Amino acid sequence: MIRLHDYVLSASCYKVRLMAALLGVRLDLEAVDFHPGRAHKSLAFRQLNPAGTLPVMVVDDLVLTESTAMLVYLARLAGPEWLGPGTPQASAQVQQWLAFSGRLAASLGLARLHDMLLYTGDIEALRRDGHLALRELESALTECRFAGHDWLVGTAPTIADIACFPNVALSQDGGVTLDPYPAIRLWSRRVRSLDRFVEMPGIHRLHELRPAPAEA
Amino acid sequence: MTTRWIATGLSHDLPNGAVMAGQWQATELAVWRSATGKLAAWKDRCPHRGMRLSHGFVRGETLSCIYHGWVYGTDGGCKHIPAHPALTPPAAICAEGFACVEANGVLWLAPVGMAEDPPRLVDLRPVRTLSLTCDLATILGVEPALGGSDIIRGSVRIGGQDEEICLLVQPRPNGITFHALCSARADVVQVSRWLEALRRSAEEKVAA
Amino acid sequence: MITPQVLNEWYPVAMASQIRAGQRRETQLLGIPVTVKMSDGAVAVHGESDSFPVMERFGHVWTCLGSPAHDLFAVPEADQPGRRLVDVGVVRVKCSPLRAVENFLDIAHFPFVHTDILGAEPHTEVNRYEVQIREGSDEVWATKVTFYQPQAAKSAEGGIVTQYMYRVPAPTVSVLYKTCPVMPDAWDVIGIFVQPLTEELCDVWPWMALFDDVTPEAELIAFQQMIFLQDRSILENQIPRLLPLDPGMEIPTQADLSSIAYRRWLKKRGLTYGAQMVAA
Repeated sequence: MIRLHDYVLSASCYKVRLMAALLGVRLDLEAVDFHPGRAHKSLAFRQLNPAGTLPVMVVDDLVLTESTAMLVYLARLAGPEWLGPGTPQASAQVQQWLAFSGRLAASLGLARLHDMLLYTGDIEALRRDGHLALRELESALTECRFAGHDWLVGTAPTIADIACFPNVALSQDGGVTLDPYPAIRLWSRRVRSLDRFVEMPGIHRLHELRPAPAEA
Repeated sequence: MTTRWIATGLSHDLPNGAVMAGQWQATELAVWRSATGKLAAWKDRCPHRGMRLSHGFVRGETLSCIYHGWVYGTDGGCKHIPAHPALTPPAAICAEGFACVEANGVLWLAPVGMAEDPPRLVDLRPVRTLSLTCDLATILGVEPALGGSDIIRGSVRIGGQDEEICLLVQPRPNGITFHALCSARADVVQVSRWLEALRRSAEEKVAA
Repeated sequence: MITPQVLNEWYPVAMASQIRAGQRRETQLLGIPVTVKMSDGAVAVHGESDSFPVMERFGHVWTCLGSPAHDLFAVPEADQPGRRLVDVGVVRVKCSPLRAVENFLDIAHFPFVHTDILGAEPHTEVNRYEVQIREGSDEVWATKVTFYQPQAAKSAEGGIVTQYMYRVPAPTVSVLYKTCPVMPDAWDVIGIFVQPLTEELCDVWPWMALFDDVTPEAELIAFQQMIFLQDRSILENQIPRLLPLDPGMEIPTQADLSSIAYRRWLKKRGLTYGAQMVAA
């Protein structure tokens, strides 16, 4: 049994829920009152994760507190193709994007917490850093298009895409528009069109994937 | 404000069955393409409750608002209101249309009723769209080989070769967006990186 | 626009438990900076030089910047034995406080915004319901509202036809009563208390009074936050941000009877903070 200490509005928790859904892996979700209760900062929770962050994944004796490590665990467990082609170059690229997703969380993610849940922070600096990260992603995806590829690494979706997707797709929650980034917009749409994709609040269902109901 | 065609995107960034946000001067628009490839552009506002139609979804030859699912045909008329499935929506319910045409891989917008066609761009192919936080004068200061106002052109040195570059200018609230094209034989990867370098230089000049 | 009627209303400004736990909240109300904190063992709300009346009800701190024209509205269910009262916590939204309330009254968006939870295609039809302004209490009520819901509440198992009643007891407050999945004869009560920071920015405090002994509190909060955050991305993308009271600006249908009544009620009473009176 894979237990995930989870918060419904957390982009990092969603990263793990999304990966599990795409792989068809069942998670045993344990809701943590992140807001308004700040239960992730309680003594009891910090006994589990001293950093007091979410998500936390527990599988028997294994306790993971970094969402990107959870993606690796799930992919290795149920869909190794999501780890990428496995060449030295591709493996390094995947690691590069996993680390990059941390920059998205530290900019777009914090801007979102600021605008939505009233976290303190220098909102202009967070948004500026968010745009800088989005420009890098846009450039990379543009070069993917030139090469005829749809995904960040190789020719199929990997944990790199899933790691970066949540904070990008939710950027508007923090006042950062994706309008200047057409390649990101199309990539986001591809992620949302994946078989077994699940949403979170702030990312609407792609209703076009289902036909219109027959008119009365 | 002069009435003219303004580039709002590149064709490859709007596949069939997709919608995006566009802009004509200060007017925000929803630009979309039906399943069979028909283009339409409307004010980015559902007449029902003001929701941005660029957040909507395309099914077949219709665009639906994400809020209440109101369905609009390519002519802008409301065809179906899901809350009242048996009702034929009155003709008065319609999205406010703009002209949207596609030429040389570029999507152009203008108010309805433009007499002339959008500018012709021969022997050029689309590269990418790029947004900048500086103004046009700064760009032209950084790269004197480029010139123009709506359509910036020039021959610049990229990867040891002289390449023809064309930048279609779309003014934005906090800067500008370029829809970049280059000569057919140029290496698009090199051109794309050159554009990023140009952006970096121009924005750094503003910061300094 | 700030009118005397706007000033004389009560508004939520904090969660009472957080202030009582020693937190201090620097916020604003109707564009005016206010501080909510403990002072001499009691919750106090003050501005730069004034202090304002305080009411603690339904888990929240309420205040009034003018002279309260009436008592705060009542929710009798809040005192009913067996109900769990849940403070869902604040969510900031870049929209008019009135747009936030109007969206709360709306059911036609359920299949598209709360897909597979509060609604799903093809069950999109909104049946006719009744709307009235109740005399005495002067509240907007919508009754006999029904809608098919795949997962009406955290406690629901499978789809049900949910019955609703909606009320607007104050300009920036709405309370709904909906079928309680585990006690079909009772109503679950869910409210949103909206704090108008400015005409285009609000802090929203959802609140619940439910019959549900089973679900952990964190899950109840998560469910309601999930629903409200699905609405937030709509609310931040309506144009204009202000709620248009000019009937020519937007096109309502029969499904919007509650919103029509709400807009008229606001206009007639001069409760126009967050409203656009004339099309821009």
